[in-house]
Amino acid sequence: MKNAHPLLQALEALYPPERLLTRDAQLLTYESDALTAFHSKPAAAVIPISEAEVIETVRLCHQLAVPFVARGSGTSLSGGSLPIADGLLVALNRLNRIKSIDPEQRIAVVEPGVVNLHITHAAAPYGLYYAPDPSSQSICTIGGNIAFNSGGAHCLKYGMTSNHVLGMKVVLADGAVTEFGSDSLDGCGVGPDLIGLFVGSEGLFGIALEITVRLLPQPERYRTLLAAYDDLGKAGDAVSRVVASGMLPGAIEIMDRLAIQAAEAAVQAGYPDAEALLIVELEGEAPQVEAEFAQLQAMMRASGAFELRSARDEAERARIWKGRKGAFSAVGRLSPDYIVQDGVVPRSRLGEALTRIKALKTKHQLEVANVFHAGDGNLHPLILYDGRQPGALEKAEALAGEILALCIKLGGSITGEHGVGMEKRDYMPAMFSEQELDIMQALRRAIDPKEIANRGKMFPSGEAPALQQRGMHPLERQGVISRE
Amino acid sequence: MRHSITSDDIRAPEMAKAIESCVHCGFCLAACPTYASLGEEMNSPRGRIVLMKNVLEARLPAAEAQEYIDRCLGCMACVPACPSGVAYGDLLVSYRAMQEKQRQRPPLDAIARRLIRETLPYPRRFRLAARAGKLGAALGAALPAPFAAMLNLLPGSLPPAMPLPPLLPAQGEKRGKVAILLGCVQQALAPNINYAAAQVLAANGIEVHIPPRQSCCGSILLHVGAEADARELARRNFQAMPADVDAIITTAAGCGSGIDDYALLFKGQPDSAEAADFSQKVLDFSAYLAAVGLRAPLGFSQERRVVYQDACHLLHAQGLQREPRTLLRQIPNLRLLPIADAGMCCGSAGTYNIDQPAIAAELGGRKAESILAAAPDAVVSGNIGCITQLRQQFTSRGEALPVLHIAELLQQAYSHSAASS
Amino acid sequence: MTTQSKPRAVAELQDFVRGNTLVHARGNGSKSALHPAAADIAIADLSLMRGIVEYQPAEFTLSARAGSPIAELKAALAAEGQYLPFDPLLPERATIGGTVAANLSGSRRYRYGGLRDFILGASVVDGGGRAYTVGGKVVKNAAGFDLSKFLVGSLGQYAIMTELTFKVFPDAPHFSSLRLRYQTLDAALAAIFFLNQSIFELDALDLLPAADGWSLLARLGGGADALPPRLERIRAALQSETAPQAAEEVADTARLWQPLRQLDAAFVAKVVLPPKRIPALERGISGCQRRYSCGGNIAWVATEDIAALDRALAALGLAGLCLQGDCEKPLLGKAPESILSARVKAALDPDGKLV
Ligand SMILES: Cc1cc2nc3c(=O)[nH]c(=O)nc-3n(C[C@H](O)[C@H](O)[C@H](O)COP(=O)(O)OP(=O)(O)OC[C@H]3O[C@@H](n4cnc5c(N)ncnc54)[C@H](O)[C@@H]3O)c2cc1C
Ligand code: SF4
Ligand code: SF4
Repeated sequence: MKNAHPLLQALEALYPPERLLTRDAQLLTYESDALTAFHSKPAAAVIPISEAEVIETVRLCHQLAVPFVARGSGTSLSGGSLPIADGLLVALNRLNRIKSIDPEQRIAVVEPGVVNLHITHAAAPYGLYYAPDPSSQSICTIGGNIAFNSGGAHCLKYGMTSNHVLGMKVVLADGAVTEFGSDSLDGCGVGPDLIGLFVGSEGLFGIALEITVRLLPQPERYRTLLAAYDDLGKAGDAVSRVVASGMLPGAIEIMDRLAIQAAEAAVQAGYPDAEALLIVELEGEAPQVEAEFAQLQAMMRASGAFELRSARDEAERARIWKGRKGAFSAVGRLSPDYIVQDGVVPRSRLGEALTRIKALKTKHQLEVANVFHAGDGNLHPLILYDGRQPGALEKAEALAGEILALCIKLGGSITGEHGVGMEKRDYMPAMFSEQELDIMQALRRAIDPKEIANRGKMFPSGEAPALQQRGMHPLERQGVISRE
Repeated sequence: MRHSITSDDIRAPEMAKAIESCVHCGFCLAACPTYASLGEEMNSPRGRIVLMKNVLEARLPAAEAQEYIDRCLGCMACVPACPSGVAYGDLLVSYRAMQEKQRQRPPLDAIARRLIRETLPYPRRFRLAARAGKLGAALGAALPAPFAAMLNLLPGSLPPAMPLPPLLPAQGEKRGKVAILLGCVQQALAPNINYAAAQVLAANGIEVHIPPRQSCCGSILLHVGAEADARELARRNFQAMPADVDAIITTAAGCGSGIDDYALLFKGQPDSAEAADFSQKVLDFSAYLAAVGLRAPLGFSQERRVVYQDACHLLHAQGLQREPRTLLRQIPNLRLLPIADAGMCCGSAGTYNIDQPAIAAELGGRKAESILAAAPDAVVSGNIGCITQLRQQFTSRGEALPVLHIAELLQQAYSHSAASS
Repeated sequence: MTTQSKPRAVAELQDFVRGNTLVHARGNGSKSALHPAAADIAIADLSLMRGIVEYQPAEFTLSARAGSPIAELKAALAAEGQYLPFDPLLPERATIGGTVAANLSGSRRYRYGGLRDFILGASVVDGGGRAYTVGGKVVKNAAGFDLSKFLVGSLGQYAIMTELTFKVFPDAPHFSSLRLRYQTLDAALAAIFFLNQSIFELDALDLLPAADGWSLLARLGGGADALPPRLERIRAALQSETAPQAAEEVADTARLWQPLRQLDAAFVAKVVLPPKRIPALERGISGCQRRYSCGGNIAWVATEDIAALDRALAALGLAGLCLQGDCEKPLLGKAPESILSARVKAALDPDGKLV
């Protein structure tokens, strides 16, 4: 342990023993986020309960040049909250107060460890809700959402996390504390949009301490339609029809056979037995929604769906969404291991992307379950493998790599919402030019000269060739991380 | 999660399966009371799974993980919350049983063993021993927390016994036939619960058998690692319970969910099929009665505002959410009030009242507040632990809010209607 | 003599930036207050770098060069039934680059969000003369730092935009507008707060002083069949809940929703505020012409005395930006954040060239 010692001493003065974790049994449970292929043990973890403690902690890390990782609920799927070996983990779960709600101006001020769904619960008595709804919303934190600009099924209309943050207070990686944005719906309004810069920075700039979010009024009416298809391509084409119709649904989602099976086993959502299932949900004022719903049903009938079902009541709607939102975890019922991918393709090339993924999975002889935010071209192929078989992980990773390469080739992105984190950092050069990466690095260093905030994430590790990750991960070779 | 479990424990396959199907997604954290209160990964279901995995893989000494595993309420709120279907209950029960055997605590000594053999099986002796304070003193030091906690629920003085006859005939047209499993602690602590249950069942046309030779269900001993003893007690009940009943009724949530663990307890035993049959037959009072439907006349003359408190061992472990509410809704003039965070443990589960007084108090306090916010006239639950916990909470707040077992409330509803007609 | 260049290509702009010590970018110059006139500042006029680069209606994204007049983009989109939901403020005169640099969204911002919510990516030439792209071209992208949003409101001081990509939406086919009259500001604000918590989905909501009291303008967009009943519902709800003195449907014209149209003074400024600060601002700027846009979250203020406005805003802790008029410093009132911005400046424009 190079630097940890002086830091631990300083931390002892700052934290009572029950909030300064150093024992094996404690740290083991923080070794991974939701991407368990990676794990690494920090020198210590702290559980601050005040903004001041976080600030002081970051200052100490900066002073002593010890890398730190902020952690919300550890549901990152890209290794974003993977600790740095011998670094410090800052668990923000007890900074979980909703400081205020102003229903008249539709804003809430929250601490970073507040769970996404808890904001909606707190706003519900006023007929308001917090719109971004990652499937993990029952447990993921606003701090984590900010780091990845998380989105969800219902982000088509009102956007992702970034679009719902109006103001922030942050401590930058060198301990400087700054505030930007306002209580106005116009957020930063005057001056550069720092919210837009900080949201999505994957914890590399510093730690969000306080966040002002906007709330939306709960829609008067939801209309949820399930359309079943005997072919995934047909479902993809149906999406294009909906989009081209000029309608603006709240959500357009697709699940394929494997995902349907898993979700059905998990929550008995009552999904039809199909090759592909399209979920389209309209939301808004009742007269408008009802008019559009009639149009939507006609359109779906014409799209070759063999069965249409609409949710009759709120309970049925909730079941449909529970199945969709539990789909990732539910795949754990089908396979001991899987990799969740998060590529984006232009919406018009969705059908093409799906066909190619099918070919790829045949080529690699692996099962792939598809669950995705079809409305914005955000694919989530889940690659199933059995990690106990030698070479299986490598095979799955190779397929994952080819899928990402495909997304880039079609003009899309390697991540729509899960972030680059640890998992996709070596794909960055395929997406950005050397100069673009240099600029990002320069920016990072201007903010964090010692590169201590989430060190090792997002940026490619010099030596690893893009899209050709074979054998040991570069960080494994350096002994920074390890996987089983 | 991938693992390299090498343990040769008889239930290692069940444990490995639970660990394997966990994808570390964290969805269960939202449901876990210890996580809600402590906000740390070690005290979450996901964290505990990681800890048990590491112990089973021999990467972490069991003693280091113990504190966090001990703190688990066993409330099973994490089970329905898990989309991946992780059988956390199987893992926890098997792990605890395994650890108890390896734990560095004085093994159940001879006296304790004799008490278990000679006292628990016999409700009357159990009562006498409890009253004499013998149980706690004799067993206290020797027993692991969960069992000691259960015995510690017993106060210095017990209410008078309410003996039940071996048979209560069905009133009116006969609609069914059941046997009641009395249980040990609850029967000593609140004999009126089984008494009320028997009356209500009979009033509903159910013939009720109360076999005198029955004993404690023994499931708690599995948690203690005294599996052979546990099986012995269970087998007594296999013998004692008549075979031709529709169901074996329990009014103690803990017995009901404990008997569900017989599959683990009897794994590899010659009579495992018999055990499975038996546990199939055991039904919670509310589940059985909701299925047969309440018979009129019953009800209150004035509106009664009632909060139903979900016991973890009913709601999460046995999935009984609708059934008790269905029963309550059938009572005229009873208004069922919703409360916030209804699924969150009240702090009474498992070892909490004793081992973790701070957390138990916090959870109990939260529960009391959300109940009081609904301004009820009474609170109803299906579990003696919750009832005791809530009574304490209300007393310390100076609230004279009655807390009843659902069987007791139903009995009142019948006697009210009898009085008013 | 001020050096000036009208580059047509990115390389030309790069050379120009490299060859000068202080550079200022300009579109059509529609926001006169934002253009410094010092002799030592070289002007990069982007008005020739114009035109749509890529527009696929099915993709709902549009890329255009930064000097493109807004009017041109709007026309192309309208032909496909689509629009820029942030509702650029000065559609007749401004370029898209200038609109982004000054962060000027119009009244319809109320419905789905502002400029920052619809920008997806940009090509830029930074202070070091380096040309690159930031953000992406697909509607969702979480890879790398999102510098494209940072450019919104950046006033060209970090990098000069040469091309911009936006997410666009299908536009509503029909609109109706409603004018409500309230005697007091408090009553009008109460109506805004009522609407904020209601199920009504307004396309725009502006508040402006009227002869004796306040006018609240509400706009609804949607399908032809649903629109009349929706309008009726909202009118009825407002009448019963907020007791307006009048609630009449008015002709829905482009002019009605052009917030700067009646503001006529030496200086015109944007002020960012939450609606609850409006009464305080009203006390601080009495006498100015103004219109509160976007549910009272943005104020457009016209004044003869910009220094007084600056002081008033500073006292209230509000930030503003002077758009039109001959003023020395366009940033008004509370200074924008400087710590994080300065670090971005150090990375993108280390020599401090861009002003
Ligand atoms: C089953 C499942 C489904 C999911 N579905 C979705 C989905 O639909 N959409 C989606 O977008 N994501 C989804 N995710 C991914 C994940 O939930 C999100 O990325 C989420 O935002 C992470 O939140 P967290 O609190 O768990 O953060 P963590 O995993 O703890 O941390 C994530 C990142 O945030 C940083 N961070 C945490 N707090 C702060 C802070 N205060 N300031 C700065 N940085 C911070 C960490 O350093 C890390 O880089 C899913 C994950 C799972 C397991
Ligand atoms: S919800 Fe299930 S799969 Fe997810 S972490 Fe918890 S136990 Fe594991
Ligand atoms: S049983 Fe209860 S306390 Fe234990 S991990 Fe599960 S939810 Fe938490």
